[in-house]
Amino acid sequence: MARAAPFAKFLHAVEIGFRISRSSVSVCFVQTAFILATVFLGGFAVMVLEIVGARYLLKDFGGAFYVWTSQIGVVLVALSAGYYVGGRLADRSQRADILSWLLLCAGGIIAGIPHFAQRLLDWIVLRHPEGEVIPQFWIKVDPALGSAVVFFLPCFVLAMISPYMIRIAAEKLEHVGSVSGKIYAASTVGSVAGVFVSGYFLLDRFELGTIFRSTGLLTMLLGGLCWFIGWNRTALKPTR
Amino acid sequence: MLVYRMESNGVEANKMNPLSQRTHGLVSSAALLAMLVSNAWCGQVYETTSVYNHIIVEDVAGTRILRFNGSQESRMSLQDSTRGHFQYTEILQLPVFWNPAATNVLMIGLGGGSTHRAYQLLFPEIHIDAVELDPVVMKVAKTYFGVRESRTLKFHEADGRVYLRRTKQKYDAILLDAYTSTRYGSFIPHHLATTEFFTIVRDHLTPNGVVMFNVIGNYQGWRADIFGAMYKTMNSVFPNVYHVPSTESQNIILIGAMNEGPLKRETKLRNEEALLKTYPRLPLAFWKNTQAIQSVVPVSAAKSPVLSDKFAPVDGLLNAVPR
Repeated sequence: MARAAPFAKFLHAVEIGFRISRSSVSVCFVQTAFILATVFLGGFAVMVLEIVGARYLLKDFGGAFYVWTSQIGVVLVALSAGYYVGGRLADRSQRADILSWLLLCAGGIIAGIPHFAQRLLDWIVLRHPEGEVIPQFWIKVDPALGSAVVFFLPCFVLAMISPYMIRIAAEKLEHVGSVSGKIYAASTVGSVAGVFVSGYFLLDRFELGTIFRSTGLLTMLLGGLCWFIGWNRTALKPTR
Repeated sequence: MLVYRMESNGVEANKMNPLSQRTHGLVSSAALLAMLVSNAWCGQVYETTSVYNHIIVEDVAGTRILRFNGSQESRMSLQDSTRGHFQYTEILQLPVFWNPAATNVLMIGLGGGSTHRAYQLLFPEIHIDAVELDPVVMKVAKTYFGVRESRTLKFHEADGRVYLRRTKQKYDAILLDAYTSTRYGSFIPHHLATTEFFTIVRDHLTPNGVVMFNVIGNYQGWRADIFGAMYKTMNSVFPNVYHVPSTESQNIILIGAMNEGPLKRETKLRNEEALLKTYPRLPLAFWKNTQAIQSVVPVSAAKSPVLSDKFAPVDGLLNAVPR
């Protein structure tokens, strides 16, 4: 426990309180609630990036259908890669430290989108000589490149949350089914919320910069949550 | 509508007894047949679905109508292709009032090409670049609405903003009439309605050039917020913004210019003289429209936001409570 910060010590004390007063079932309940909240918010952040991101790309690549196609495609590629790599990492170290750091970086990237992305997108669009007709191939692929350079990494990292949380939550092999089911469900419900909240509410009320910065902050917060969940797990272990 | 009703009957049919189910089957196949026949009676000429639109071309009472997703986009008389169009498209002929010597015009959004055809007829020497995103709309305009590619009319399959950003050409007028239309309303593509976009537009205009934007909306009530926001956004780039309301439909054409142009008396007289010399056969409607140019700041502009790439809630404004 040498690395635990004062705040973590405080939380640990709270949990000991829990353990004494209500038995270990409550502690598990708190841990589960944290895990589900984390995957929910992770799913939420991914879909905010997808919907708001498509809107962001439209100004450079136009209203062509390819913008939506590539945004959906790229986000799905990032998700599948994130699931795969996240699962491998989770098996290697069950402490969520690495994930926390990755989420912190991803949050930084997301918050930085309004500052750095325009230069990358300009490079993609303006590399075609002025006044020349862009080949059909690049008309289709350019938006995908744009989605990839801006949104791939953040979505890749956000996708790692789910397998990590399954690894942490599934203490016994017999429970893997229901645990992973719960986590899939919470993450997807989060994504559903992300879609509708961004489409119906965020885009009408807030500037794109504000939305990206808030999502970045949320992702960093998720890094903190993951760290806490991982720490909580090791803290709980000796009593079992 | 008919299809929808049949589907809902189909759900109820599961609960019915076998006899009524059989009758129901008869009724629905009869309805299907009736629908096919009525399509022919209604004069449907062509129907297709592109990536962007469900397109229907139909002939009703001597008028050819273009529909996107159920909403009317364009009209043309079958007897005389220069008639039957929406009146607002005539307002889009006004750029020559600013610059009688105009030679290059960019038109973003094709539809049935009413404006394009009128330009080819009235101003045969003006070179038009017609930009349209949907290749199927282009094909339909060529096949069913007599818009022909010519020495002075070139088609470009592209997004308006992407095209404009990359072209070196300067234009005497840039005309915008690009919408996504459905039964739920006509949605302005948000990236064609922002300060940043109008800055690109300004950079591609000649000194006497004008931009004209077809706003579907009103001064008050329905879609007044959209109109107010568009006015303010154009005014953030162009010092002079004018508007001409359509006399027949809920369209207002916004005009953005770098100078007062014919709103100044001397310029007006000079341009009128030049126009009468260059285009002696301009229709009366054109001259009427020159009289209809408004310069008053619309009331709805006060409360509406300036639209930018960062914040352009065009879909949300559409549903704003009318004031």
